[in-house]
Amino acid sequence: MFELDQRIAEQLTEVALNSSVQVRCGNSNAFMVTASTMVPLMQMFEMGGVYISGSRSAMEMIEAFETIGIDVSNIQFVDLVSSGVLGGTDSTRKNIHFVDSPIMLESILLRALYLLRTTTLERNFVILDSVNALAIYNDDRMLAEYLHTFINTFRQREVLSVILNVPDQTPPLVLSNLDLYCTDLIDRGQVVIH
Amino acid sequence: MNKQYTFKKEDEEFFGGVGSFGVPKFDLEMHGGVPRGFTMVSFTDTGSGSELFGKQFTSPAEESENTLYVSTNEGQQEIARVFNKYGWPLDISVRTIGEEYNKEVLEKELLASRYRLEGFRLEDIQRLAQTRFVDETHQDYLTEVTNEIMSLGPYFRVVIDNLDFFLQREDNTKVVAMVRMLQAHAQMMRGLLLINISNDGLNPTIKQELSSIADMVLSFKVRTIGTDFETSMIVSKFRNAPENLKILVFRVTPAEGITPETVERIS
Amino acid sequence: MQPAAVYTRDRCVTGIHGLDEILRGGIPYGSTVLASGTCGSGKTTLAMEFLVRGALAGEACAHFTATEPSVKLLENIRQFEFFDMNMVDTGLINVFDMDVLYSWLGLEKSSFDLDDVHALIKAIVDIVNTIGVTRLVIDSVTTLCYKIKSEQLIRDFLFTLGKKLSTLGCTTILISEITSATENAHWSSFGVEEAIADGIIVMGDVERMGHLLRFLQVVKMRGTSHSRAKHAIELTPIGVMLTPMLKWGAQGDKQSKWGA
Repeated sequence: MFELDQRIAEQLTEVALNSSVQVRCGNSNAFMVTASTMVPLMQMFEMGGVYISGSRSAMEMIEAFETIGIDVSNIQFVDLVSSGVLGGTDSTRKNIHFVDSPIMLESILLRALYLLRTTTLERNFVILDSVNALAIYNDDRMLAEYLHTFINTFRQREVLSVILNVPDQTPPLVLSNLDLYCTDLIDRGQVVIH
Repeated sequence: MNKQYTFKKEDEEFFGGVGSFGVPKFDLEMHGGVPRGFTMVSFTDTGSGSELFGKQFTSPAEESENTLYVSTNEGQQEIARVFNKYGWPLDISVRTIGEEYNKEVLEKELLASRYRLEGFRLEDIQRLAQTRFVDETHQDYLTEVTNEIMSLGPYFRVVIDNLDFFLQREDNTKVVAMVRMLQAHAQMMRGLLLINISNDGLNPTIKQELSSIADMVLSFKVRTIGTDFETSMIVSKFRNAPENLKILVFRVTPAEGITPETVERIS
Repeated sequence: MQPAAVYTRDRCVTGIHGLDEILRGGIPYGSTVLASGTCGSGKTTLAMEFLVRGALAGEACAHFTATEPSVKLLENIRQFEFFDMNMVDTGLINVFDMDVLYSWLGLEKSSFDLDDVHALIKAIVDIVNTIGVTRLVIDSVTTLCYKIKSEQLIRDFLFTLGKKLSTLGCTTILISEITSATENAHWSSFGVEEAIADGIIVMGDVERMGHLLRFLQVVKMRGTSHSRAKHAIELTPIGVMLTPMLKWGAQGDKQSKWGA
């Protein structure tokens, strides 16, 4: 049986809507950490929001959540992966929205803002999965600048931002900036020595 | 010939080999009338009576539904008045292109000048905001008339009075091509086609070309003799019957319309 | 000592997400703004949203379309949630086909002379005046000006039109089609529009590793301070959305300073 990390839920009780949480995970526990973050936000705090799916396709993520019994039908997914795969965007799910490429950083932000404007829920989150996926395509300085904008945009709108990253694969400039911008840290990743 | 039309025997008997001009004395002068299948082109002077001759040419109207009078200058009422006056049949088809043109084009131009001078009223603006497509007012009268004539069946009788309207508005080579097409149709259907064209301003090349297409070429002339006008018709081409080439002086009588003079003049 | 009162012009609040922020409140009333952009950059959508937001606030709006038939324009614009066909039916948004207007004015010709240009100005001003239009869009002024053969006449046309509309308190967006929106490009097709307009909004695409990212930049706006930064835009069902473009990604590949 799939077990969620309860300590993450405990940590999340400390955060406010205008917080930005950096969630560090490792290669092996990425999904467990993601699910352990999502579930309490949805179930304990009755939040909804946007999941930016940059590591795996949105469909794959939804199926993974459904396999462990988590209903994500009211979460809007912004899929950055599938447009790069021929036939990848053949989906009838209404909660999947495609962005052409992870390089279109501003589009991702605007798409998330648009989806948040259409939601009826009062409390929302935006989960960015993950910094590492964006780092594959984007220059370090641009990514650092983007995360700065991203975090501040949602903080201003009282939308909880959750930034997932695998620290040992994150460019140092980006990582140090993340440390600076984020208000909270949930660390389930490996120890990083640079 | 690509196409052959088979005529009914009873039709052949009824219509015969020649058709009347609508002027019995002309028929006599032309040894019976005008051979079926002929296209006649008449080059006319102003005031020479060619319009009346054209109307009179439709008067035999062997089949009224197969008889068409196309006028580019006169209106329906005006034409009906003349037909009434001479007792010619009123049940033929009459197409008044000039009237249609005035209605569709000139009215629009008049409205445009009103808009330009006086501006739009609220109801104009509301109508404009609801109008999604431009009224296709530029009608291709040439094609339309050609199609209308081409759709007529055997032994038709058509008068176009006159071709100037088309020559002034369309590419002249297109107009000549239309005449050529109509001539072929008249020949195939044993129809009778009379086309009036003004001499004024007619391009000699076009005149030459139309003359060569026509089976019969007429010229309507008017001249003054003392205090009188003399109107005459010159037959300058009659395909395969050069004996018919002649000059016929005619007058207009209230009873017969156009009729050749019987008195020989001494010049 | 009291600070001197700062005079600020009344604004036409565009209602477009982010644009009013860039313009510090909106377009100064009665301005003629040139919205110049490359094809597919979102000019028509932006202009249409400008009108719809006005109509939602009860303003009478007019759209003159020369680039595509109004039927097609309305069909394309219907997919946006912010648009309601009722606005057209009730006369809040009045869409005019330039072809129809030309036909009504007897202007179905390839080039316009001075009289024709005056007739056109008179017609547009008449419409604005009669129905009290406060927001107007001409899409596009480029297509319209193609029929005006002299540069001087184009200048007169735009200047007179702008002046008359401004007097009537009508805020106008003139859409201009350009082939390039780079720094060295002209912001208008004929080169004269940009000098006459009170404001210039440039729209185009930034190519980033083979992908086109739409941007909008307010280059000039008389009567207000404004941001001159490039903003990324997204055409969403709820309208145009803007966000400042990343500084490290604001230029195309060729001018990119990545890795420098």
